Amino acid sequence: MKHDFLDKYSNLDSPIHRLDPRVKILSVFLGIIIIVSEPLGELFHFLLYFVIIALLVVLSRVPLKYLLMRCLIVSPFILMAAAFLPLSRMVSPELQPDYSGYSVYQASLTILFKAYSAVILLVLLTSTEKFQRLLLGIRKLKMPRLIGVISALMYRYIFLLTDEVLKTTRARESRTPGTLKISKVKVYGNQMAMIFIRSWERAHRVYDSMLSRGFNGEFPDTRKLRLSQNDVFLSVIFIGILLVIRLGI
Amino acid sequence: MPTGIKIENLNFSYTHGKKVLNNITVDIQPGERFGVIGPSGAGKSTLLLHLNGILSGQGTVQIGETIVDKKSIPDVRRQVGLVFQNPDDQLFNPTVEEDVAFGPLNFGLSGETVSERVREALKAMNLIGFEKLTSHHLSLGERKRVALATVLAMRPEVIALDEPFSNLDPAMVMQLMKILKALDATLVLVSQSILPIVACCDRMAILKDGEIVAIGPPRQLAANIELMRSSGLDLSFYRKIFKEIFPE
Repeated sequence: MKHDFLDKYSNLDSPIHRLDPRVKILSVFLGIIIIVSEPLGELFHFLLYFVIIALLVVLSRVPLKYLLMRCLIVSPFILMAAAFLPLSRMVSPELQPDYSGYSVYQASLTILFKAYSAVILLVLLTSTEKFQRLLLGIRKLKMPRLIGVISALMYRYIFLLTDEVLKTTRARESRTPGTLKISKVKVYGNQMAMIFIRSWERAHRVYDSMLSRGFNGEFPDTRKLRLSQNDVFLSVIFIGILLVIRLGI
Repeated sequence: MPTGIKIENLNFSYTHGKKVLNNITVDIQPGERFGVIGPSGAGKSTLLLHLNGILSGQGTVQIGETIVDKKSIPDVRRQVGLVFQNPDDQLFNPTVEEDVAFGPLNFGLSGETVSERVREALKAMNLIGFEKLTSHHLSLGERKRVALATVLAMRPEVIALDEPFSNLDPAMVMQLMKILKALDATLVLVSQSILPIVACCDRMAILKDGEIVAIGPPRQLAANIELMRSSGLDLSFYRKIFKEIFPE
């Protein structure tokens, strides 16, 4: 079975790829916090953020098409949230919150800017680092171990789950003449239930196999990360520029 | 050093009630290659899980001098390596190297020792060059070899394998049999593929409905047509086909 991977472009060589994963994680999360905390309607500031993010994308050499495709996945949710404001104003104008003097359209644009900035930064983070190094970075940053363990297993087994979905879909389609009618929605329900049961049973077997090799709740790890002055310097510059824009200095 | 296994009056039922193992008693010698065959649902995999303390029923399971119970589980897991039927249940780390290192690291070995063991296990399984690969990108035969390497790296005294020959092509079956014969450990092989078990085991037990119905030399048991038929393992079909293909 063929799968797409989160870290598909992690083998490229660029200044962003070469950064320590801890620096990348911290920079991205601080960056997102700064951008999201920007007040409503500061559209010029958002344009500046976008320029910086675009610069990072160019530096990273991650293909723009890939980045846009990733953004497309979350677009329905972002667009729905952004469209909700003007629509709700039309339906019930008396229930509108105070936008501090800005128009509802400016508020909508703010949502779009904030959401896409965060998504692009996160896609950049996962595309420029191997997933296992990101997990290692998370662990070295003293995040709860359970989060690392769950993420590692989820990343490993998401592909097996995808296989299960593909296999059961093939099995269903092979016995379904033409397209499945909406009236037969129960079939989809049964398929989902079977996938859930199989996943549940597999989880038990995986856990048994971990126990049989001495697993006691903690993933052993001897890998090391090296933090250079250059990494810290670049991270400080990035966060510094965002802060300058945010504070309007 | 291979160690022996002693199972006495082992009984086990899952929560839904049906008895899966019924009064199992067997004595496996150190270094012996012991096969367990039986139809689906006979309790073969359940029996295997008792060797490592993952399941515990009524009765005694003894690995060398150690009786398997809650207290001895860390020791038992050091001694007994389990290779699961489906390698996807066993391989959960991002790379082959990390999966093979998982067991030795859990037992607190130093980084240098772990690296050495990983290298040796991969070499034994003819997997040098696979270290940085992702296991779910490999073929089933390769994944099965990685799964065995994950256990070899722990240097267990007993290796228990659940359906090691399933879904392998004949060349891979031959290769695996060669690897298994060369291992310096007591082997317990559970399988529905009777012929490889007959070919590579010193002794074999037939399990039916949770009971051992026969135990002895594999060829002798396999030749007992009536016993095999009554155990749900009728080989006459294979005999007929082989006679047709190779009439001389």
